[in-house]
Amino acid sequence: MEILVDFALLALLAVTAMAVVRVTNLFAAVMFAGIYSFLSACLFTVMDAVDVAFTEAAVGAGISTVLMLATLALVGSKVTTPQFRITAMSTKVPPRRPIFPLFVVLVTGGILVYGTLDMPPYGNPDDPVHNHVAPHYLEESGHEIGVPNVVTSVLASYRGYDTMGETTVVFTAAVGVMILLSSLRGRDTYGQEAWGDEKVQDLDVGFVDAFGEEMDAPSPKVGRRKKRKRRKKGGRG
Amino acid sequence: MSDQVILRVATKIIVPTILLYALYVQFHGDFGPGGGFQAGVIFAAGIILYSLVFGLRRTQKVLPSWVARLAASTGVLIYAGTGVVALLKGGKFLDYSVLAHDPEHGQHLGILFVEIGVMITVLGVMITIFYFFAARGREDL
Amino acid sequence: MTFVADALSWICLLGGGVFVVIGAIGVIRMPDLFTRLHAAGITDTMGAGFILVGLMFQGGMSLITAKLILVLGFLWFSSPVSTYALARATLASGQEPFWSEDLEIPDTARIPGMVYPVDAMGEADAESGEEEE
Repeated sequence: MEILVDFALLALLAVTAMAVVRVTNLFAAVMFAGIYSFLSACLFTVMDAVDVAFTEAAVGAGISTVLMLATLALVGSKVTTPQFRITAMSTKVPPRRPIFPLFVVLVTGGILVYGTLDMPPYGNPDDPVHNHVAPHYLEESGHEIGVPNVVTSVLASYRGYDTMGETTVVFTAAVGVMILLSSLRGRDTYGQEAWGDEKVQDLDVGFVDAFGEEMDAPSPKVGRRKKRKRRKKGGRG
Repeated sequence: MSDQVILRVATKIIVPTILLYALYVQFHGDFGPGGGFQAGVIFAAGIILYSLVFGLRRTQKVLPSWVARLAASTGVLIYAGTGVVALLKGGKFLDYSVLAHDPEHGQHLGILFVEIGVMITVLGVMITIFYFFAARGREDL
Repeated sequence: MTFVADALSWICLLGGGVFVVIGAIGVIRMPDLFTRLHAAGITDTMGAGFILVGLMFQGGMSLITAKLILVLGFLWFSSPVSTYALARATLASGQEPFWSEDLEIPDTARIPGMVYPVDAMGEADAESGEEEE
């Protein structure tokens, strides 16, 4: 009976994936990608992997959608009507007929599906996956580590070295983004935050302006403070 | 456009709850679903919500971009540092059993520190990437 | 006692599902974004409310019920705010609501024998115009 839920979720997943590719408005494509993440989080919950579903929902349907919307807002120059920033500037050009890539994809997919026919049945207790280390983790985690959540004990203690690699990969991703986008930033503003002169009316920027910041010139006090710092250093030297 | 009162009030009520929930998920990772990654992402989502409603300048008063960059590397330092402390205490790298008087307490302590390191890194990384996207090339943000 | 709790939770879960389907049909069939938001609100309030109440009956008097009450509270707090923000963003971006004077009901969609306000409005305008002249 639960297999019907699996069927429904997988069918919706396939439909959403097709929709991401076929829709011409990029804003709608970003929304469909968020729905895809949400549906895979539901699928993970049905498979009893709640930690993974939690992370997928938070990252895929939350942060990733916001970052893709930020990318959409970065594309294109400043225009007067925000609507055009998101829709008209971002309509896709319909592609030519890609016959050879389709053939390559079908052949590769066919080979992969043929490879999966050799795998043991899903959930079979005689699988090598369930007989090598997993029984040791499940049985010994209680008195070796004493943490009720086995996922955390495997992640942080038994496989702690892999999690350290994972954390380093996340950090490297941040470094990569900083390097890629540093050409847009201009001067290095390390240590010099924008302490603008804030009145409450300063916050009145349209919610549609995707990240709520004023598009005017920076307030004059910021420049003045930076000049003062340079003068002090010249005085001491 | 000056009637953003509803959004501001609602955000002021929701954002502390989101941050508290992130800490709850972090420290209850031992007993239920949760852990460092989820907690860092939820905390960053709270800060991003604040930034969407109140503006990027105000958010950078709360969490300046140098703090976010520092956090990204500090988390990895905490994680690797736990392993090195285990080395200094006579065990293997990332062997938490030697961290305290009792192997089980050592495991608890090691998992606690390691998850805190993961949360700080994920938080710093998400906020840094968001700041880079949202500043859109302006120099003073 | 568990039979009563089970029966109540069945009724609430099925009712919540019905409301979610009604909300989904409304989102598809409504002509404009603003009316669609109005229909989607049914999913957030009645649909989610009934489903969570049904789950509360399954949980009994325990910590799980308290957490579900908190979840319901946050859902009912944040979903009207997000609806308001979405409607306001749409208005700010220049998309106007679909006034009913523009509405053109195709002949295949009309129910025979029913008087549509759009037609009555057109007749009233014609009558007042004739009276003025």
